[in-house]
Amino acid sequence: MTTGTVPTASDVVDVLVGVDDPEYPGVSIVDLGLVEAVRAGEDGHVEVDLIPTFLGCPALEFIATDVRRALQHAGFLQPVVRFVDRPVWTTSRITAAGRRQLASEFTVAVRVGRSAPPCPHCGTIALAETSLFGSMRCRSISECQACGERVEIVR
Amino acid sequence: MGRSWGTLAEFDAFVADGGIVEPIDDMPDEYRQAVFRFIELHANSELMGGLTERDWIPRAPGLRRKMAVLAKTQDEIGHAHLLYMVAGDLGMKTRTEMLEDLFAGRGRFHNVFHYQAVTWADQVAIAYLVDAGALISQQAVFKQCSYGPYRRILRRIIAEEGFHMRHGEEMLLTFAEGTTTQRRMFAEALDRWWWPTLHMFGPPSKPDDVLARWRIKSERNEDLRDKFVQKYATLLDSYGFTPPDPELRRDPDTGRWVTGEIDWEPLKATLSNLGPDSARRVADAATHWADSRWVREALESVAAGVAA
Repeated sequence: MTTGTVPTASDVVDVLVGVDDPEYPGVSIVDLGLVEAVRAGEDGHVEVDLIPTFLGCPALEFIATDVRRALQHAGFLQPVVRFVDRPVWTTSRITAAGRRQLASEFTVAVRVGRSAPPCPHCGTIALAETSLFGSMRCRSISECQACGERVEIVR
Repeated sequence: MGRSWGTLAEFDAFVADGGIVEPIDDMPDEYRQAVFRFIELHANSELMGGLTERDWIPRAPGLRRKMAVLAKTQDEIGHAHLLYMVAGDLGMKTRTEMLEDLFAGRGRFHNVFHYQAVTWADQVAIAYLVDAGALISQQAVFKQCSYGPYRRILRRIIAEEGFHMRHGEEMLLTFAEGTTTQRRMFAEALDRWWWPTLHMFGPPSKPDDVLARWRIKSERNEDLRDKFVQKYATLLDSYGFTPPDPELRRDPDTGRWVTGEIDWEPLKATLSNLGPDSARRVADAATHWADSRWVREALESVAAGVAA
């Protein structure tokens, strides 16, 4: 943001793209679909509405802090960052780039709707669920029937 | 199709060259055994750590801390769950066999879970020091590890442990900036947890270590421990806390921290499940296993019914 010009919502989004999810370092909260709305006023005032993946997610406060810090660092002095409870987050909010990163960096697949995603390790569509819960409430565990990989699925 | 190696020397060369071993490969038995033992120890430690954490859910001060402890418990039990699957896939022991060994006192788990967490400040010391130490070790293993499935799971475990560390740092700050009583509580907890944390990295590595030979864990225990000491002795000093080591000092020439002689006897005791709190911890875990038996039986009978 250059001093003297009025910031736009897209300036704010540019900053948010650089904020990572605390549990997926390197994956932006924008790619995970956590950013619901961004408002930038003519007086330089900015507001960001975020939505949680799961209610009670312990990372919420850290995410809000990270967003606030990044905005302040970029020159938005008093950003208002809050979590809203509508709409409800679904996996369809994760962008294609986010899905690719989760698969290649974290061996984590994303299920959108009812169709089974391909195995992030070998690419075959052969994941069979073995456990309803992984290490987070938002993930289940599957085994790839083709390569044997134990894969977590964001659901 | 899995790969195979004609001789151990060929396998050594493959691993030395940066090769990644997959479960379908025809790996040498010694390698399979070494990887299995390493992952089993990690799985057991996550499970015992998760159960310890669980004890603090009702006692955590305030809703935010309770949420954090709940999430950490789920993370750790989840890590154990995944690691037991990966260990089981090596075909040495089934998941049930590993669990039964652990609960019968025949299994091994990290030394830090053989001590009692006396107050909430102990949980802070564990989150601040033990989690940080574990993360240093795991990052080193992740960077080099030759066993593919373990390396990929470590990537996620490390991301989540990094998140635990942020909680640890936040809790430490609360105590460091707190009342005289809070500062005293943390100082006492530090007295209890400093040495076990240094022990956690293990005794000095031997030159013929199989873990290093096959890049299961490439960095030497003493180097990882030193990395921890350099960072945390400085941080604790900046908060005005003193580890219980009268000989701990900064070398005036190099500026590096030097610790006093490390007494390895306490670590040896924990390795035989004879640490100060080992018996209670193992018995407690065994009780959980026995108490949840009806759940497993119910699930198995449903599964059998579906199959029939």
